[in-house]
Amino acid sequence: MAYSDKVVDHFNNPRNMGSFKKGEEGVGTGMVGAPECGDVMKLQIKVQNDTIVDAKFKTFGCGSAIASSSLATEWLKGKTIDEAQKIKNTDIVQELNLPPVKIHCSVLAEDAIKAALADYQKKADEQPADTK
Amino acid sequence: MVRTMPILLMDNDQPSSHSDPRRQLQMARSMCWHCQSEVTGEYFCERCVKVQPVSKETDYFTCLGFPRRLTLDVQKLEARFYELSRTFHPDFYQRKSTAEQTISLSNAAVLNTAYRTLRDPIQRAEYLLALETGSVKNIRTSPPADLFEEILELQDTLEEYRASDHGSDQGHRLRTTLLTEQEALERRKEELESQLRRLFADWDKLQDAGETTSSARAERDKILKQMRDLLSHRTYVNNIVSDLAATIA
Repeated sequence: MAYSDKVVDHFNNPRNMGSFKKGEEGVGTGMVGAPECGDVMKLQIKVQNDTIVDAKFKTFGCGSAIASSSLATEWLKGKTIDEAQKIKNTDIVQELNLPPVKIHCSVLAEDAIKAALADYQKKADEQPADTK
Repeated sequence: MVRTMPILLMDNDQPSSHSDPRRQLQMARSMCWHCQSEVTGEYFCERCVKVQPVSKETDYFTCLGFPRRLTLDVQKLEARFYELSRTFHPDFYQRKSTAEQTISLSNAAVLNTAYRTLRDPIQRAEYLLALETGSVKNIRTSPPADLFEEILELQDTLEEYRASDHGSDQGHRLRTTLLTEQEALERRKEELESQLRRLFADWDKLQDAGETTSSARAERDKILKQMRDLLSHRTYVNNIVSDLAATIA
């Protein structure tokens, strides 16, 4: 099965690839993997006033996994935390026309978003305790 | 039909452990598709000598006549595979009915997959996990975060190396770094595999003991969980090792 044009586009021109500097403020990091295929995905968000101002990813895996995370970072930018929580893997499947065997790649991207949000939340909750 | 159905119904009525659905399915198929008599032979009807389909419910271990263990004699497995391959080979059914040809073909296909799966220790373990836990995904693994960091960093170095001039000093330096990493990861993979082999032995021992106590069940779940973790850990390491090998070869 050939990759859809959108997957190929994201694969050839990945958006927002890279990572934020260690210790940068307001950054949440999600690191997930798919044990079945060995893909690894790292997705980061940078939050200011409850809004995601920037997002970056690094993915080691197949074309669909790279495209899913690339698309996820595009979608995340400009969204509030609450809006970001609502991104579903099925949205990614639809946008990228992923075949059934590649659905787990979109699940991975959703997991990465959730993990990044949770990490940001955790850090934000710890913040006041530090400044007290 | 008439002979096997009542048995099934009786099984259903009993709330005992006999109402295992898998048992029923096996009983349901133990009727010859051709002469409707009960099949007592393994793969052939003893009365009309027609080949019988390997049930979809039959797991690969049963299919090849091996107990559900993780340590197995690969030579014996191969011998059994060849024996059954001859039994089901479609060439021997060319002059038989269409039904028999279809059965022999699908049996041969199942047999091939079964053999390929059980031959490889890692695939064997993955398969056993799927059998024992319904779906592998039922056991969630905690992703080894430090390993992920390492993998992603290595990917960066790999990327740098690919982009570099391989003849330059920088190219040489990167190559040396990657080679060292590769050796370390190969060792790690071996270590993971030897841990797996120990778990395989634990699993087999537990199965051989055949206890059904709650502590035996807890032990069983613990082994399966550990196996799942080790297998996925190994997949990550294996992927990066093959990537390294392909790039610096």
